[in-house]
Amino acid sequence: MNRTFDDLEKQKLETINCTMCGYCKAVCPVFIDVGWDSASPRGRMILAYGLLTGEIEPDLSIADRLFQCTNCTDCMRRCPSNAKCPDVVRAARREMVKLGFVRPAQKMLVDNIETTGNIFADPELNLPEQDGPNLLFIGCQHLSRPNATKKTIRLLDRIGIQVGIMQEVCCGFPLEIMGFTDAHAEQKKRFEDRFKSDSRPVITLCPSCLVHLQHHYQPSASHILQEIDRRLDSIPLTPQTGKVTYHDPCDLSRGAKIIDEPRRILKKMGYDLVEMTNSGNQSRCCGGGGGILTWDAEIADHLSKRRIEEAVATGADMVVTACATCEQTLKKGTRMYAEASGTQPIPVRHLLDLLSKAIA
Amino acid sequence: MPSIPLRNPSPAALEKLTQIVGSDRIRTTVAELYAYAFNAGMHRAMPGAVVQPKDPSQIAAIVSLANEHDFVIIPRGSGTSLCGHTTAVAGGLMIDLQEMNRIKEIKPGDLICVVEPGVICDRLNAALKKHRFFIPGPASSEVATLGGMVASNSSGDKALKYGATRDYVLGLEAVMPTGEIARFGTRTIKNSSGYQMEKLMVGMEGTLGIITEITLRMAPLPQKTAACVASFKHLSQAGRTVADIIGTPILPVQLELMSHACIEAVNKATKLNLPPAGGMLLIACDGHPEAVRSEIELIRSICSRNEAFRVDYTEDPKRIEELWKGRKQMIPSLSALKPEFATVMLADDMAVPISKVPDAIVGFEDIERQYDILIPTYGHAGDGNLHTKVLLNPENPEHWMQAKRAVESIYDLVLKLGGTVTGEHGVAMSKAEYFKKERADSIPFMRAIKRALDPRNIMNPYKIFDWDDGFLSHLRYPVEVSK
Repeated sequence: MNRTFDDLEKQKLETINCTMCGYCKAVCPVFIDVGWDSASPRGRMILAYGLLTGEIEPDLSIADRLFQCTNCTDCMRRCPSNAKCPDVVRAARREMVKLGFVRPAQKMLVDNIETTGNIFADPELNLPEQDGPNLLFIGCQHLSRPNATKKTIRLLDRIGIQVGIMQEVCCGFPLEIMGFTDAHAEQKKRFEDRFKSDSRPVITLCPSCLVHLQHHYQPSASHILQEIDRRLDSIPLTPQTGKVTYHDPCDLSRGAKIIDEPRRILKKMGYDLVEMTNSGNQSRCCGGGGGILTWDAEIADHLSKRRIEEAVATGADMVVTACATCEQTLKKGTRMYAEASGTQPIPVRHLLDLLSKAIA
Repeated sequence: MPSIPLRNPSPAALEKLTQIVGSDRIRTTVAELYAYAFNAGMHRAMPGAVVQPKDPSQIAAIVSLANEHDFVIIPRGSGTSLCGHTTAVAGGLMIDLQEMNRIKEIKPGDLICVVEPGVICDRLNAALKKHRFFIPGPASSEVATLGGMVASNSSGDKALKYGATRDYVLGLEAVMPTGEIARFGTRTIKNSSGYQMEKLMVGMEGTLGIITEITLRMAPLPQKTAACVASFKHLSQAGRTVADIIGTPILPVQLELMSHACIEAVNKATKLNLPPAGGMLLIACDGHPEAVRSEIELIRSICSRNEAFRVDYTEDPKRIEELWKGRKQMIPSLSALKPEFATVMLADDMAVPISKVPDAIVGFEDIERQYDILIPTYGHAGDGNLHTKVLLNPENPEHWMQAKRAVESIYDLVLKLGGTVTGEHGVAMSKAEYFKKERADSIPFMRAIKRALDPRNIMNPYKIFDWDDGFLSHLRYPVEVSK
C-alpha cells in the first residue's frame, strides 16, 4: 500500500545517517528492560525507516515500540553520530496517531485537555490569580497539588520573587509528545490566546512545561530552581541532616541542562548528597516520561522500580527529585521495590517541598 | 550469484520452538523481524523469526530442530558487527543471545574469568576492575557482547599492546551445527593438548556453531597511564615516528594517527582546537609509573627527532580523556563535513605492516583525489590498522559506483602492501570479495572445515568464503545499485 508520511519524511535523513552502531542500546531504559532490539532507539530508527520506505506496514507491534519510548533523550546524548532519535520517534508517533493507533488512556488525556484545559479533567484546577512582575507558570501537575504549590509560592515570596498567577491552560506538552498534532495545534491556539500578549518573564515549576515553553513560546523561560539557586546565599535555611540522592528529571537535566542547581541547593540545605550510577546528564528515566504511562504502564512500573533499586544502592535515606511526575512515578516504584524486597520503602520527596519546610 | 533461497522455520517448526523456549521467547512480529534485519553494517535482510534462548540445552534443541526442519540459524549478540555477519540473507531463525548474560566466574588466582556469550564487554570490565583486571575491548565495548567479540575476533585501540580477543580465549563451549554441545580448550593459561579448537571458533562469524560459554584470560589493570599528542608538519613524519617507536622497541597501549583532513574535521565540529598539522599522533603508555615515564620520555625524543613541532604530555587522567576526545569525535566530525552525506562501512578497517602505514595513507589520499570522493583516514597506526570512512549520499547510485571503484583501489593497494582487508571487523559480506583474493590459498581448507562441521549448511550460511555477491548487495539504504 502506498502511503505518504509527511511528518516522518522530514526525518528521513536522520534515519539514513544513523550508523546503526547500537551505542544507544546501552543507555535506553526501555531496551534494558524489554531486551528485544525493536525496543531500542536503533530499533525505533529502523522501524521509522521501514515505514518511510514502505517496506513495512504500520501495525500494533510497531506502534508498541514507538509509544514505549520515554523520550528521555539519553540516546541522543550518547549517539556518536548526533542522530536525533527522539525527533524521529515523535514524527513517527504523529503518523501512527493519524492512522488511528491510539490507546484509550491517550484519548482520555487528549479529551481532558480539550474539554477542561488540563490533564486531570478538573475545571476547577487553578489557583487564584495575582499580580506580579514575573509570571509563574504552574502547570497541570503542580496545580493538582494546590497545598504544596501554595507553599512554593510563599517560598518565592519569602526569597523576594514576586510572581503573577493567571488562570492556566495546559501548555500542550503531553499532546505533542504523544503525537496528537491537531490537538496540539488547537491547544497551542488556546495557550497563545491566554498568554501571548503577556511579556513578563516566565518561571516554571515543571521541567516538561519548561522545555515546552522554551521551545514554543519563550526561549528565556526559567525554572524555579534556577531562580532559587541565584539567590541561594541570601536564603535563610534551617539546616537539614541525612543522606539523600537526587533523581534528575530528564527534561530538566538533558532538556534544560539544569543539573548543578538542585545539587547546590541540597548541599546548602545541609544534606549529604550521594549520586546514583546514572545521574546528571546521564540520568535514567523513572518511567514517567514520554507518555509511556498512557501506553504501557507495565514497562513504566519496571523502570520506576529499577530506578529505586539504583537509589537504594547508594545507601541514601531519601530520594529527592524536582518533577511532580517523577515524584509520583518513583513513589510507586518505591512501594513496589519495598514489597518485592521486604524492606521499608525509601521516601521520595519533591525538592520544592523540602525547601518550603526548610526555609527559616 | 543466483538468488538465495529462503530457509525460514516452518509453522510446524515454530510450534516446536515454542515448546523448547516458551512463547514469550519467540518473536515473529513485523517490528521485531524488521529490527533484526539490520545491524551496524551496511547490509540487511529479514529473518523468519527471532528467539532468545536461556541456556545451551535450549540452543542444542533448536539446532537439532533446524537440522530436522531445514531452516538456517544466525547467532547474534548486540548486533554491532559491521560487515553483515548477522544479516539473514537466507532468512532463518535468528538466535539473540543477549539474555544469556551471566558472568559465571572470576578467578583472579587462576587469571581467568568465565562468561556467557551475551555479557557486555564493559559490564565484564566493571566486574573485573574490582580485582584489578580487564579484557581489552573494541570501540563498541559499552554494547558489544563477548560472544560477538569472539565470533568476529574483534579488537580495538589497545590491540598493539594487549592483542585481540583471540589472545584471551582459553576455552569455550559451543553448540555445534549438528546440535551437539562441545567444550574446547581449557581453564589453564597454557595448553598443548591437540588441535586448538577454541581458536578455530574465534573469528568463525557464527558459521561453525553458537558459542554458549567463554573462558577468558585476563590482563592486569595498569597502575598508571600517561599520554602525549605530537603534531607534525607532514603526515610522512608522523608515519616514520610510528615505525621508530615500535622499532625501538616500545609498545604503547595506544598509538593513533589522524590525517590533516581528520584534524580539520574535528576542529570544525568541536571546540577542541587541535593544532593544525599535516599529521598528528596520539600516544599513550601504561604500566608501572617509572616505566611509563621513561617510555614517554623516549617517545618524546623520537617525536622531536622526526621534527614534531609540538608535543603535549600529560599524566592527568582527565586531560588524557580530553586529548582522546578528538579521536572519539571522529565519526560525527567527519559526518558533519557534509551533513547530507552518510559515513558508510566500506573499506573501513584494513591493516598493513606497521612500516607501510605512511605509504597506505598517502595512497588512500591519492585514491580520494582520483575518484573525487571523501575518504578521510585515521586509525590505530601502531598496529597498522587503518580506518577510512567513505562519505557519500547513500541514495545516489552514482556515489556508490564511485565509492566501489575507490574501495577496489584501496583494497588493491592494501594487498600490494602486504596487508589484510580487515584488521578488526571481520569478513562476512562486506569484505568477502577481497578477502578471497587475500586468502585464496586458505579458502579450500576453510571451506572443507565448514562442510565437515556443518554438512547441512545450517549455521549462518553464505558468509566469508561463501559470499559471492560483492559488497553492494543487500544494502540497507534506499538505493538500487547495479553490482
